[in-house]
Amino acid sequence: MSVADLALADLSEVADAIAAGTVTSVQATEACLARIEAWQPRTNAFLRLKADKALEQARALDKELANGKRRGPLHGVPMAHKDMYYRAGEISTGGSAIRRDWVAPTTATVLQRLDAAGVVELGFLNMAEFAAGPTGHNVHHGHCRNPWDGTRVTGGSSSGSGASVAARMVYGALGSDTGGSIRLPASACGVVGMKATYGRVSRAGAVARSWTLDHVGPLTRTVRDNARMLAAIAGADIDDSTTSERPVPDYEAALAGGVAGLRIGLSLPEALVPVDPAVGAAVEAAASVLGKLGATIVPAKMPDFTALYRAAEVIVKCEAASMHRPWMEAGAPYANQVRTRTDAGYFIPATAYIDALRLRAHFVREFLATAMEGVDALILPAIPFPVPTIAETDVEASGGPATLAMVARFTGLTRPFNTLGLPALSLPCGFDANGVPMGLQAIGRPFDEALLYRVGHAYQGATDHHRRVPA
Amino acid sequence: MDDRTKLAAGIAAHLQGLRYDDKRLAEIAAEVAVLNDAVRKAAAARLAFDDEPAAFASLMEKEAK
Repeated sequence: MSVADLALADLSEVADAIAAGTVTSVQATEACLARIEAWQPRTNAFLRLKADKALEQARALDKELANGKRRGPLHGVPMAHKDMYYRAGEISTGGSAIRRDWVAPTTATVLQRLDAAGVVELGFLNMAEFAAGPTGHNVHHGHCRNPWDGTRVTGGSSSGSGASVAARMVYGALGSDTGGSIRLPASACGVVGMKATYGRVSRAGAVARSWTLDHVGPLTRTVRDNARMLAAIAGADIDDSTTSERPVPDYEAALAGGVAGLRIGLSLPEALVPVDPAVGAAVEAAASVLGKLGATIVPAKMPDFTALYRAAEVIVKCEAASMHRPWMEAGAPYANQVRTRTDAGYFIPATAYIDALRLRAHFVREFLATAMEGVDALILPAIPFPVPTIAETDVEASGGPATLAMVARFTGLTRPFNTLGLPALSLPCGFDANGVPMGLQAIGRPFDEALLYRVGHAYQGATDHHRRVPA
Repeated sequence: MDDRTKLAAGIAAHLQGLRYDDKRLAEIAAEVAVLNDAVRKAAAARLAFDDEPAAFASLMEKEAK
């Protein structure tokens, strides 16, 4: 495999080649570094690159393998992560100016798990300031740019994660999702993103946007890669009391199950957000593919998303206001977008916040009894419109009503699933008229990530959207 | 300044110790009204005395596949 081919290979292919001894971790790391050199100026996906450390780590992992020690199915694979996962002794900015030089005192549980799995860490990635923005704008560190069209947004808040995986700079990346922040960049950049069930992955050592609605998860090039990465990070954690004790399934082994016999609900919800015809057609075409593979496609009885969306807003704003208050009172340098998205949290009555928390169980029960009734999974769009330009969605430069409305619409179909805590997989399902990816979401029952991976893997086996690489 | 904005001004000054100009207070007041009304209506239609936030985690485990 040449260096160029190596960079374009999938995470699983490279990991298996390293295990087989046909490729070294150092070669894979060098291939990624070459891609980063070419693509970083065009995307601004990396905030900090650790090239020397990564190569040193790769050499050590190659040595381990030569001595007969393979840590697991990710041994030697280079990755990078959203700059909100703490690494003890290293800077962790959270995409902010406030923490530009702040050094983390601990290491995030998910990074500890990837370390134990033998992952090489190339560096840390761009993100919306404190994970508070759905587009990928960042006034402090520079906007992240979509590898498919540098004038367009990446989606956010895990902007660098989406861009770096899409541009083949890394084989996988951690993102986080409070209202769509894994699924939106996955959709806009044409990669796979999993927001697993709330409690499936530890949040310990990750910068919070909202303790109640934050979900940690992987972005990768393929569904198989994603399944492999989630298996490495999922599971109970004593440092995050909201994690589930439920055993982690072998997601990769479940991929072969296919979709024959499954019932899949299709929805193009119109409640909060009108779905663009091109996006709707791409999702309907995806449903048709799944139908040809043996799934039964039925119309989904989707509830009105308004209450789910508003409840999430109440929770996020109140929790964010509580955690950011000391810095905001002190006049710390926040972007306007962060302040304006937080302010209401100081004014919402505590009873409304608590009621929003109490409502979640009701919302889940209702959703399972209506939208999920008689189906194994649902599919619907991720971003309901073609990916806009950076200029069109620049809230700092133009905070007018049209700009604010467009930015708010990004999360119309993703945020409700943070309220519900259900697993949601985003994967590419086509390209818009501008040549930029479009994505769909597959939604499942609590802790049924394995079934969503089955659906996504079957779809990717019959399509090639995920094989296209930005030029 | 309408009553809703006056209320927001009072909360900012007397409960939160925060300063905003009148225009921003009016925007915040309007935003809070939408959010508060949505949750109040959803709660009135669904919540009973014994409902607690922790029911969410229990339900997710019970409904797990």
